[in-house]
Amino acid sequence: MRFSRILMLALLALVAGVAIAFLTPSSSLLGLFAQAVIYAIFALGVGVLLRQNGLTSFGHALFFGAAGYAMGVILTLDWFSAEIAIFVVLLGIGVLAFLIGLVIVRVPGIAFGMLTLAIGQMAYLLATRSRGLTGGADGMSIPWPSTLFGVKQSVLLKPDVLFLIVWTVLIVVTLAVVWLLRTRFGSITEAVRDNEERARFIGITTTVPRALVYAMSAVVTGVAGVMSSLNTGFISPESLHWSVSGIALVMVVVGGFKSVIGPILGAIVYFLFKELLGDFATYWMAIFGAALIAVIVFSPDGIAGALERLMKPRHTRANATSKSGH
Amino acid sequence: MLTINLFNGLVYGSLLIIMSSGLALIYGLRRVVNFAHGALYMLGAYIGFTVAMQSNFWVALVVAPTAMAIFGALLDRYGFRLLQDREPLSVMLVTFGLLLILQDLVVFIWGKANHSLFTPELLNFTVDLMGNQVPAYRIGVIVVGLTVALGLTLWLRFSRIGLFVRAASTDPVTTSMQGVNTDAISAGVVGLGSALAGLAGVVAGPFLSLTPHMSSDVLIDSFVVVVIGGLGSLAGAFIAALLLGMMQAIGAVYMPQVSVLLPFIFMIAILIWKPSGLAGSRT
Repeated sequence: MRFSRILMLALLALVAGVAIAFLTPSSSLLGLFAQAVIYAIFALGVGVLLRQNGLTSFGHALFFGAAGYAMGVILTLDWFSAEIAIFVVLLGIGVLAFLIGLVIVRVPGIAFGMLTLAIGQMAYLLATRSRGLTGGADGMSIPWPSTLFGVKQSVLLKPDVLFLIVWTVLIVVTLAVVWLLRTRFGSITEAVRDNEERARFIGITTTVPRALVYAMSAVVTGVAGVMSSLNTGFISPESLHWSVSGIALVMVVVGGFKSVIGPILGAIVYFLFKELLGDFATYWMAIFGAALIAVIVFSPDGIAGALERLMKPRHTRANATSKSGH
Repeated sequence: MLTINLFNGLVYGSLLIIMSSGLALIYGLRRVVNFAHGALYMLGAYIGFTVAMQSNFWVALVVAPTAMAIFGALLDRYGFRLLQDREPLSVMLVTFGLLLILQDLVVFIWGKANHSLFTPELLNFTVDLMGNQVPAYRIGVIVVGLTVALGLTLWLRFSRIGLFVRAASTDPVTTSMQGVNTDAISAGVVGLGSALAGLAGVVAGPFLSLTPHMSSDVLIDSFVVVVIGGLGSLAGAFIAALLLGMMQAIGAVYMPQVSVLLPFIFMIAILIWKPSGLAGSRT
């Protein structure tokens, strides 16, 4: 797909978002949509790592929660204005993740997943046990200023406005990811993923690109964390728990990690289903678990894969799957 | 203080031996990182609780692992065998889905309240250990852990089935070409591994309380043990389990603030030094 066409699609998505914001009657439903979109950004980050590095992270909640905590600490201590703080936090997450990535992307396969799980759980335990500023197990509230980027907080937090903000952020982040993966950087990381040894033979240093992908996926997840902290104005250790990472990973696989758009679909389907099931919500996790197993068994490439098979004629399928997500 | 902590470390290490040897067996044969193992541990504990209420602890100690063994064999036959050509990630997430289902099932049947298994009469006394009074039950836990370790090692080393298991873990295709029924071996091994999870659940019942969230901590510690030991290596898992128990015990005395982090720090250090773990050659 040409990039101009992707831009057109993005514009269409933006218009669709405005339509959703205006046509959705209940503000609680819009709140749910906003939450779904925030998790879509989260899943997009986890998905990029899986798609581009072939690595499964069981610890991305670390970056999701850390973004919230960092915002909370910076705003409480009044180090920067909120606008600058957002960029400082995202930059900090990027640098931190790059450094962690340099060490851990060398560890192959399942051990990588367990490493990320360990690092994430460490952060969770630290957050539950810390006293003072971060409030231990109770969490902390995040003192957002009364105006952000010149917009009053009361306006910002109106359900339709907030939905439009996170929707726009999702589109911008997705565009940025798609663009980055179409550059030389994207081709290099794909070469490294498919065969690290051969990539080294043709003169590519392999650790740095992989660590960069890890950092990029962490920053995307960090964006979701910042959005969530704006949405709820609150952060607690629950956001750092490994089950959050697990759910995000499940969204990615259910949605289909082979395309960029898959994880986003996964997150949105997750929240819509949860809402539809309303009355059964007590046993929501069991229903979700069963749905997860069904999707993995019957459509290994997820919802995105199933949609693609539906839309593409039979004879071009082999051709189409090799180009998915471009 | 240190003695009693070291003792408790040994108790927890023994529990981890029972848990992680099951995980390691299943990984060795099926290459599956089994998240459901934590759920089987929990299910074992709750079934043990119900059975112990109706009769006594010793019956529970037999019934719960047996029930889990049957569950495990079915899981292998209708789960892992059908999915054996899929990517490891997919199968891992299937077991994660199973964990979610079983966790809610436990809430559905037994509710959210905490339960506790009573210590059996026979072991309900204390023993003097270098000036400290320790419950005899906990000594029993250590005995069970060491028995499991010794029993599994001897079984794998000297029995004919043990030979088949080791062969199938190394190369399932060649092993089945030699006439070994690897499907039956797999079902048996996954059944055995699940039985061990159930056993760990019942054994943990009298000293860790039963909650719908009880699986999480033990499961993660068992993962840490199996990864540190070298995925699929039993001997590595035994050593790592005891090390982990000890480390938490000593950490609780000298570094109470960071003792919960020690297993993770240890694991990160080991993996960076040797990505395949202490005893492992597989990745």
